[in-house]
Amino acid sequence: MIDHILIGMYAFTHSCIGIIVKPYETYRRILKDGTLYELFPIGILLSLYFATNALVKAPAFRPFVLTRHFMKTSIAVVVTACFASFVLWTIGKAFGGKGEYKRFLLAWAYTLIPTLCWFLFASLLYICIPPPRTTLPSGIALSIVFLTVSSVLFFWKIILSYLALRFGMKLDLMRIFGILVVSLPILGIYSLGMYRLGIFRVPFL
Amino acid sequence: MVYERFQKKLNEVMEIPPQTVGPFTPYYKMLTKRLKIMPIPILIVVSVICICFLFLIFGSGITFITSMLQRGF
Repeated sequence: MIDHILIGMYAFTHSCIGIIVKPYETYRRILKDGTLYELFPIGILLSLYFATNALVKAPAFRPFVLTRHFMKTSIAVVVTACFASFVLWTIGKAFGGKGEYKRFLLAWAYTLIPTLCWFLFASLLYICIPPPRTTLPSGIALSIVFLTVSSVLFFWKIILSYLALRFGMKLDLMRIFGILVVSLPILGIYSLGMYRLGIFRVPFL
Repeated sequence: MVYERFQKKLNEVMEIPPQTVGPFTPYYKMLTKRLKIMPIPILIVVSVICICFLFLIFGSGITFITSMLQRGF
């Protein structure tokens, strides 16, 4: 068991570098040789982020409040990741996709890395330079930098999501567009529900 | 050895049919060729262009978008 987790951690580190340097090749490898043990380090990274998030966002620095905030966001992200991947996989199947759900889930889990990077970046910036931004040149310059970093991570997320659908379900571009058109309203309603529940303002998809 | 590697690569490629987008296929191939290896520098260039375009449209209003996103995590 521990051997599998250690191998999973090594594979995860290798894949993390790979999705930056060679995303196409890495995604092929993840879907061919990846194991569900690679989800373990992703879970650890997410937990570390939620601990940071609880410290930054919780209304009071009390163990009960921090633990409740941590548990709430952790459960919400696990549910959201499973829900989003299941919706995409189900719709993908309807569009003629092939493949196992657990393989697709693993591929989808790697798309959480850019999301995690953005949330971590936004959290750290929130601590260092809290909002609101002013319309002074310094505020505009910081806004441009913030939005540029955000859009780089967003485009990276799009590439990884495309690769997860392309290699995970063996679909072509037109079908992937079709899946997005059908799934976006569902995920939009879900995100709105999360917003109304006060869990996420920006969905952790 | 070389043959085995070639066979492995061929199997990988043939597992999924090559993507075509009609008359836009050469442009698609050109784009994806650049995104296959180290896509981040290209994404930075594209993002800077997009954000400059956004700045031209909204002007200093982009600070509002930033403030909203900064509270969104």
